[in-house]
Formats: sequence, C-alpha cells, structure tokens
Amino acid sequence: MIEMLLILFAPLIGGLLYGFERIVRARMQNRQGPPLLQPFYDMYKLIDKQAFIVNPYHSILGIMHFVTLWIVVAFIILGQNLLYVIFLHLLSTIFIILAGFSVKSIYSHIGANRELLAMLAYEPILIMMAVGFFMLNGSFDISIIREKEASLFPLFLLFLAYLTVIPIKLKKSPFDATEAHQEIVGGVEIEFSGVFFEFLYMAKWLEYIFVYLLLFLFAGNNILLATALFLIVFLLLNLIDNATARIKMNHLIKIVLGVGITLGMCNLLGLSYV
Amino acid sequence: MYEKYRKKSPWILHYNAGSCNGCDIEILAALAPKYDLERFGVINTGNPKQSDIFLITGPVTLRSRERIVELYTQIPEPKVVVAVGSCSCTGGVFRDMYNVEDGVDRYIPVDVYIPGCAVSPELIIDGVVKGLDILEQKTKEMEKPFKLFQEATTKDGITSRRETPLRVGEDNEKN
Repeated sequence: MIEMLLILFAPLIGGLLYGFERIVRARMQNRQGPPLLQPFYDMYKLIDKQAFIVNPYHSILGIMHFVTLWIVVAFIILGQNLLYVIFLHLLSTIFIILAGFSVKSIYSHIGANRELLAMLAYEPILIMMAVGFFMLNGSFDISIIREKEASLFPLFLLFLAYLTVIPIKLKKSPFDATEAHQEIVGGVEIEFSGVFFEFLYMAKWLEYIFVYLLLFLFAGNNILLATALFLIVFLLLNLIDNATARIKMNHLIKIVLGVGITLGMCNLLGLSYV
Repeated sequence: MYEKYRKKSPWILHYNAGSCNGCDIEILAALAPKYDLERFGVINTGNPKQSDIFLITGPVTLRSRERIVELYTQIPEPKVVVAVGSCSCTGGVFRDMYNVEDGVDRYIPVDVYIPGCAVSPELIIDGVVKGLDILEQKTKEMEKPFKLFQEATTKDGITSRRETPLRVGEDNEKN
C-alpha cells in the first residue's frame, strides 16, 4: 500500500525536492530564492499555455520519456531487478534522444548528440554498479539488496564513481554540457512548449527520485545511513554546482569514463579476490 | 482556473535589438543576487517557446526587426511584451536616424514601457510586476482574430460597415 502511494506521488515528491533544492542553491548564493512550491506553480502555468506541436512524434516521445521514467521509479520502489531498472532507464533516455533528433532545430540535434555521448560515459558505471551489487549480495533484485547490510564500505570506490554520474543525470555543473542552458538553450528540450514541456519538466523531477533511490541502495537496510548519504550528497552536489563552471563535452567523457571505469574496475577486481 | 499561477512563474526572454548594452546589464543586475528577481519565480530562459515575458532593449535596428517579429510569434499565448529603456520605447537619442526604427511598438504590440537611460533595476522589477498584472488579465480569446467591420449594410439611407451607422452631427465619443 505504502509502495503504491509512493509510486503515485513520486513526481510530487520529486517536485518538492526540486523546489527545496532551488531554495538551497539560492541561500548558498546569499539570496532569498523562489518559494518551495515554485515547480508546481510552473507546472500549472505550463498547462495553461498554448502548446506548439512541431511534429506529433516529437511530442509523443517526450511523453514516453516521462512515462518510462515513472515506470523505472516504480520498479525501484517495488524492488525489481536492478539490471532491468538500468536498461529501462536507458530506454527512457533513448526516447528523449529520438525526440531531439526528430525536429530540425540544430540546437536540438546538438543536445541529442551530447545526450548520447553522456550516456556513453555514465552507462558503463551504472552497469558496473549493478555487477558490484550482484557480487556482494548474489542477486540483482533490489528487494534483496535492500534487506542486506549496508554495502557502502565494500563498494566505496563504486560509490565514488556513482558520484560522478549524479551531476550528469541531474544536469548540474560541471557536468551539464548536455543541457548547457546558455550555449545550446537546453539542448533536446528546446522545441517543447506548453503542456509538452511540462512532461519534460516533470521527468526532471523523476530523475531526482531515480538518482537518490539508486543512492539509497548503498545504504542497504540502514535507514540512518541512507538519510546521512542523501543529506551529504545533496549538499555536496549543490555546493559543487554553485562553485564550478561547465566543462566541455569531450572533457566530461574523459573525466567520467577515466575516473569512473578505473574506480569501478578496481572495486570489482577487489571484490572478486576477497 | 490556472490564471493565478501565471503570475507566479513568469519566464523571461531577453532580446537585444541593437542596444548599447546598458539596459542589458541592468536586466542582468535585476536577475543577479542583489535584486534577485528569482524570488518571484522568474527564470531567464533563452528559449521563446517556453517564455511568458518578452524583454526588449534598444532601438529596433533594421537588422533586428525581423528577429523581433519572429521571436514574438514563437512565444506561446498568453504573453507580455515589455519595452525596456528609452530607446525601445521611443527610439531615444537615436530617433529619426536612418538605420533605426524608433521603438518596438512599430512592429509588435507593447504592454509595458519602462523609460530610462539606462533603466534602473528597481524600475525593471516594477515593470515586470506590472506586466504580471497584465498577464493575469490576458485570455486566449483576446488573441483570436476577429472581424473589425461587418458587411456593408444600408440603413436609413446611410451605407455603413459598422454595427450602428454613424449619423451626421452625432456625438462621436462612443466610438
């Protein structure tokens, strides 16, 4: 019952988290910031706006992106297979990339290209994470991973590798070249408007839920550790977002692939020998 | 039903129509931490398809007028146009020059004029807040095309295309 409620209200929780994060970021810059419910005000406004449809597939793929992400979040909450979750999340990213390529806008194409390149960088790390959990717990099932002891210590290097993935998924600097709001005006989201942009906006909130639910896997059955991990990562992420500038796409791939795969492989090799 | 939420999340599109950059710097100052327009929910989107308020600075130069109309048509309804600075209101010191179009309202309808050279960030905030009131009143019906005149009809010997024909010597104030 609680699981169903959590699944149903996942976008709302994500929206609250996004609003809270905007306040935290504003306070870090010594300003007041928008109200907590600002994402929902944006949502209502976007529903009311006129919507331009560039082509039907573009709009439908945007909605599919949102729906698939919601299913991903539901699968994690229900404790399904971790590999399924990661590949289904890959599918949701592919939908948005196809949407980016389905219009003529050059910015949209650049954004979709960058999204593909970023996927190339972070997907191996997510898969290595799943393999690490499998070697430790003997199962890909999230429900089993959640019942076991906290795996933060044996998977610490993979945890560090996962920390480099989070800014890419949440479009935070220094790894926000996929969105790059000043250069390519949001990348794939440029041609969406009105209620169709609303689905992309809500998908962004679901990304927050997805990322932090994967983070909670490192804490296992330890709720206290999960809360501490969430707080530390949340503050660290916003601090780094405020303190750093955007880096180029090729540097992003080099850093994330280089650091992430090295750390992940070290961890997996260590696990296989211990 | 959703009208009251328009006021709470205005997203801004900012376009420089040949401005000297003075007003643009003031707009950025209004968005920056000191004046913090984001506390009203304002985001500076660079994307016309997701914007509500169109801030234009500068006298409209010949090169930029097509872009202005193009950007204006790309903003979905309801939208508000704010002319920032003396130049975009009237042409300012560049009025009647050969390469300048004397203000934005020759090409697109303007809702709020903010005078000043350069405008202060406080005035920009006031202007944007004024624009929010207008945004709340606007409905999509307002933007639909309608017929200004009817077919020509003859009534009482007067041929007119108005609903109530204007008579000679009648008070013209109603029209």
